[in-house]
Amino acid sequence: MMITAKSLTKTFGNFTAVDHIDLNVHQGECFGLLGPNGAGKSTFISMTYGTVQRSGGELLVFGHDPKTHSRDIKKRLGVVTQDNALDESLTVLENMLIYSSFIGIPRHVRKKRVLDLLDYMNLTHKKDTKIITLSGGMKRRLVFVRALLGQPELLILDEPTTGLDPAIRHLLWGKVKELHQQGTSIVLTTHYMHEAEVLCDRLVIMNNGRISAEGSPRNMIHQHTPGYIGIFALEDREKIHNLSSQINSFNAHEDSSGIYLRAATLEELTSLHSQHGLNPLQIRPSNLEDVFLKLTGQELSDDA
Amino acid sequence: MLESFKLCFQITLRNWTVYKKDLISNISPTVADPALIMVSLGLGLGAYVTNVEGMSYMQYLAPGLTVATALFTSFFESSYGFFVRMTYENVFKAMLTTPIGVGEVVFGEMLWVGLKGAIMSLCVGIVLSIFGLMANPWLIPFLAIVGFLVALPCGAMGLLATALVNNINQFQTVYSFIIAPLYFLSGIFFPIEQMPNALRFLAEFFPLIHGVRLAQAIFWNREVLSTFVLHGGILVLQSLFFCAIGFWKIRKKLIT
Ligand SMILES: Nc1ncnc2c1ncn2[C@@H]1O[C@H](COP(=O)(O)OP(=O)(O)OP(=O)(O)O)[C@@H](O)[C@H]1O
Ligand SMILES: [Mg+2]
Repeated sequence: MMITAKSLTKTFGNFTAVDHIDLNVHQGECFGLLGPNGAGKSTFISMTYGTVQRSGGELLVFGHDPKTHSRDIKKRLGVVTQDNALDESLTVLENMLIYSSFIGIPRHVRKKRVLDLLDYMNLTHKKDTKIITLSGGMKRRLVFVRALLGQPELLILDEPTTGLDPAIRHLLWGKVKELHQQGTSIVLTTHYMHEAEVLCDRLVIMNNGRISAEGSPRNMIHQHTPGYIGIFALEDREKIHNLSSQINSFNAHEDSSGIYLRAATLEELTSLHSQHGLNPLQIRPSNLEDVFLKLTGQELSDDA
Repeated sequence: MLESFKLCFQITLRNWTVYKKDLISNISPTVADPALIMVSLGLGLGAYVTNVEGMSYMQYLAPGLTVATALFTSFFESSYGFFVRMTYENVFKAMLTTPIGVGEVVFGEMLWVGLKGAIMSLCVGIVLSIFGLMANPWLIPFLAIVGFLVALPCGAMGLLATALVNNINQFQTVYSFIIAPLYFLSGIFFPIEQMPNALRFLAEFFPLIHGVRLAQAIFWNREVLSTFVLHGGILVLQSLFFCAIGFWKIRKKLIT
């Protein structure tokens, strides 16, 4: 077991950021931690390596308690922190060399290790530039390099791809998958549901410091929002309202982009067109985003 | 333990790597300030003050200015410098994901500050001895020890200030109301025997005054050994005291 948390709690004053959560991260799995802003994801992550100290419950990482054995834990861990926290006073190469010295890489292999990883993340050409001159995507890749320097058994990624363009995001997904296949255990937080679906074997959704659901992406969709989603123009609101009094197998909610109807089968949605003259803008299988919106209370209501 | 010390040293090295990039502008104030005071007060005021405890004013000023360098370099490094590294640059956030803990961060910084104080005092001492202000130039190496022993507690005071201020501007208050007054009460510019007893008593708690006495013993070659035992000992105790509370307070900033 990589991480075991039992009834883990963190309070800041009288605010409870993490509220009695239970979870396990198994060896070799990619574990996702989803939740809205302020759900307590980063707080949980910081507890695993000891910069935030738990207020209650139990927490073991590699079987050690971070309160007393944070150094043993941190030797086996790589972290992509939510903010880059790169040393702005130093160049790319200096940053990584100094960081290598912190994690105890023997002096004679440091430079090679750093250069290999810079190459792996396509940053070799930037090795002598200052951090300030790097783009957001380059900084993020450099933080990946930093996290991988120690060849960690457990890689913690706190919103690794926030603010990155699709190409770089896909590049990083590829790297994460590769590491996962090589046996690295991964804990990932993200606001991109698609990212979680692509990468995670298992995930939890956190809300207000609590875990509201747990499972594989596929199971969670199956359990919480099975079926298909039809998205309709807002102008069709009247018709849909009238319909929903007749048909109650639909779940509906509305946002600024349209009205979302969820049905168990594709036929039910297509029949709306043939029988009621309602034209969906789009029909798609339901996904993790629908689960997320439902569980974090942002889906307006279950019935239209 | 050994591992912990190695990590402290790596932090010191990190600071040196950053520091040496801008060596000239980093060093110039620490060297220019004593030079300025030496010329203006030593030559200017020295024309009127011709006999302080049986020596010229320049001779009187030299030891105090040497250790004051250690005070300023250490205080500013661990107040403004540390604050910027902690709050704006987030340097420690990344460090603390490595085997480095808060203990190493604090003592690595203290080691850096101490070494800087030692080197600065040494440099100033060498320059002053060239102008013949040192009775026995063979004692110069001891100035490094004094610089280290002064920089340590003064740096820890800066660290304590870092833990207590709410924003970077408040350091100015700490400087104006604590550091600067005590600087003038530490016997650098005039013998403090004529000051009111209450002020003299207060100044004894400030590490600088003990450093000044040590430097005076070295510069004037008077009772070097016994001064080291007494005032060196006091500085060691003050270092332990201020480092302990500095560590305790700053820990709460780095670990929540
Ligand atoms: N040091 C602190 N002192 C007080 N409150 C804190 C502290 N750190 C976090 N919090 C609070 O705890 C809650 C959880 O924060 P956390 O950073 O863990 O959220 P998150 O899930 O990572 O959010 P995001 O997706 O925005 O990164 C927030 O309400 C935050 O304001
Ligand atoms: Mg976060």
